[in-house]
Amino acid sequence: MKKEYRPMALGFWGVGLPLLLFGILYCRTAAQRVTVFLLAAVFFLVGTLICRAKQ
Amino acid sequence: MKLAAVDWIFIVWYFILSIGIGLYYSKRAGKSISEYFLSGRSLPWWLLGTSMVATTFSSDTPLAVTGIVIKDGVSGNWLWWNFMLGGALTVLFFAHLWRRAEVVTEVEFIDIRYSGRPARFLRGFKALYLGIPVSCITFGWVTLAMVKIIQITFGTSGVTALAVCLGLTVFYTALSGLWGVVATDMLLFGVAMAGSIILSVVSVEKAGGIGALVEAVRAAGAGAGKDYLSVFPPLGQALPLAFFVALFVQWWAVYYPGAEPGGGGWIAQRMLAGKSSKHAVQGTLWFTIAHYVIRPWPWILTALAALVVLPGIAAGSAGEMEGAYPRMIAFLPKGVAGIVIASLFAAFMSTIESIVNLSGSFLLNDFYRPFIRKNASEKHYVAASRVLVLVVSLLGAGFSYVLGSVKMGWQLVMELSAGIGLVLLLRWYWWRINAWSEIAALSASAATAVYLKIFPENAFVRWLGSALEGAGFRVDAWGVSILLIVAVTTAVWIAVTFLTKPDDPQKLLAFYRKVRPGGFWGPVARMNGAAYRLQAAPFAGWGLAVLMILFLLLGLGKIIFMEWGAGAAYLAAGGLAALLLAKVIAKIDWEGRR
Repeated sequence: MKKEYRPMALGFWGVGLPLLLFGILYCRTAAQRVTVFLLAAVFFLVGTLICRAKQ
Repeated sequence: MKLAAVDWIFIVWYFILSIGIGLYYSKRAGKSISEYFLSGRSLPWWLLGTSMVATTFSSDTPLAVTGIVIKDGVSGNWLWWNFMLGGALTVLFFAHLWRRAEVVTEVEFIDIRYSGRPARFLRGFKALYLGIPVSCITFGWVTLAMVKIIQITFGTSGVTALAVCLGLTVFYTALSGLWGVVATDMLLFGVAMAGSIILSVVSVEKAGGIGALVEAVRAAGAGAGKDYLSVFPPLGQALPLAFFVALFVQWWAVYYPGAEPGGGGWIAQRMLAGKSSKHAVQGTLWFTIAHYVIRPWPWILTALAALVVLPGIAAGSAGEMEGAYPRMIAFLPKGVAGIVIASLFAAFMSTIESIVNLSGSFLLNDFYRPFIRKNASEKHYVAASRVLVLVVSLLGAGFSYVLGSVKMGWQLVMELSAGIGLVLLLRWYWWRINAWSEIAALSASAATAVYLKIFPENAFVRWLGSALEGAGFRVDAWGVSILLIVAVTTAVWIAVTFLTKPDDPQKLLAFYRKVRPGGFWGPVARMNGAAYRLQAAPFAGWGLAVLMILFLLLGLGKIIFMEWGAGAAYLAAGGLAALLLAKVIAKIDWEGRR
C-alpha cells in the first residue's frame, strides 16, 4: 500500500465496518438493511481500490 | 430531536477518522508552498476529481435543492444543472491548459498572461477580492446553512457542537495543506453521499414506497397546477425566462464558486495539483459526472417525500421549504440517525477546508509574496499561509452572523460577477484580451449589479421585460437582471479591449510557448514561427460529454421511479455517449505537442 494513500484506505474501512454493524443492529426494514449493507460494501471496495492504487 | 448514545458514538468515531487523516499529512505540507497549496502537483485523477465534488457538496446544497424541488418541482434544478454545459467545456477546453500553465493559483495566471502595471493591479485586487469578501461570503453561507440544520435537528444546544467542528476543521486544514484537504475529502464525500442515500430511502419508506410517493406527488401537483416530477419545464406554456437564461447564458457568463467559466477557484487549484494534463482532464470529467449525475437524486427523492409527509410544506416560506431536509432526519431510526448527522458534518467540513485553503493561497501567493514580503524562505511562507488560513476562518465565521440568508449569499456572489465569464474563457484563446479587459469586465459587472439593486424598476428593466414578454417568455426579475448585466459588461469589456494596447509581445510569446493554447493567436504564432492548432476533437467531445451527463441523469431518475424501459434506454444512450467520448479523449493531444 502506498504510504500517501494508507490513511484514506483505513478511513474507508473504518466507516464501512460500523455501517455494517449498525445495519445489523439498528435497521428496521429490509430496504434500510439492504441500503446500509450495500453502502458498507462500497466503502470496503473503495478502501481496497485505494489500497491497490499505484502512485 | 434527541440522539441516542449509539448515534453519538458514530459521530465521534467519524470525527476521529477524518481529523486523523487530515493531521497525517501535516508534516509533508510544511515542506514548501507547492506542497502546502498544490500537494506537490502529484494528485491522481480520482483523488482530485473526488475532492472537487466533495467541496461543491456542501451543507447548504441539499437544503437548496430541497427548496427548489418543493417550490418548482424537479425541473427547477435547471437553475444549477445548466452549469453542466460549462463543466463539460472546462473538461475539454481548459483543464489541460490550466495544468500546463503551472501556476500556483488561478490569480497567478494574470502574472503569466498579462503585462505591465494593470496586470500587477489586477493580480493584487483579485487576490484580495477572492481571498477575503468572496471567500468570507461563501464561508458565511455554508456555515449559516449548517447552523440552520443544527438548530432544526438539535435545537440551540447543537451550535456548540458546530463551533467545535469548525474549530477542529480549521485546525487540521491549517496544518495539513491541500494533501490533508483532498485526502479527507475522499472520505467526507463517501460519508456525505451515504448519509443522503440513507435519508432518501427512509423518507421514501415514510411516504409509502416509490409507487405511493409518485401517486401522491402527482396528486399534489394536479392540485397546485404543477408537474413536480417532470425533468423539463412543461411544454405548451410560456417558457420561464429563468430557464432560458440558465440554459443559454448563465453557464458561460456567471462566475460562481465551483462552476467558474473555464475553471477557477478550487476547481482550478485541483487541476493545477494534478500529476499531468491528462490527470487534470480525467479528474475534472469524473467531477462533472459525480456532480450532476450521482449527487442530486437522493436529495430530490427526500424533497418529494417531504412534499407528501410534511403537510402544508409547499405553502411555506423559502426558508421553511429548505428546512424540510433536516426535518426528515426525525424519521430516522436510532443508530442510523448518527450516520446521517455525520454526513451533514462531512458536507460542511469538506467545503470549509477547501475555502480556507484556497483563500490562504490567494492571500499568500498573490498578495503577501509579490507585494509584502518577497524572497523569504519557503518555511516562512508556509507559516504565513497557516496564519492566513486562521485569519480567513475567523473573518468567515464572523460573516455568517451578518449574512441574512443562504440565498442572499448566493445571489450576491452571482450578481456581482454575472458578466465576466466570456472574458475568462477568451483570455486563453484570443491574444488581444489584456488586463484592462478583465478590469473592465469586473467593474462593469459589479457596477451594473449595484445599480440594479438600487434602481430595480428603471426604464431599461421595464423595456427589456416587456420586450421579452412580447417574445413569449414568462418574465422574472432575476432573468432580466442577469441579461442586462451580461449585455452591459460584454459591451464595456469589448470596447475597452480595443481602446487599450495589446500586452507586451514577449509576455504573450512566453505564455503561448508555455501553455500552447491554439485559437486566435495570429501575430504571436507568427513570432513563434509555428502555430498550435485548436483541435476539432474537443468540440465533438463537448457535445458527447453533455449528452452523456444528460442521458445518465435522466436514466438514473427513470430507474429510481421504476420506469424500467425508459431508464434502460437512457442509460444505454448515456453509455454509448461515454464510449464515444472515451475514444475522443484518447485521440486528443493533451500535451499540445502538435
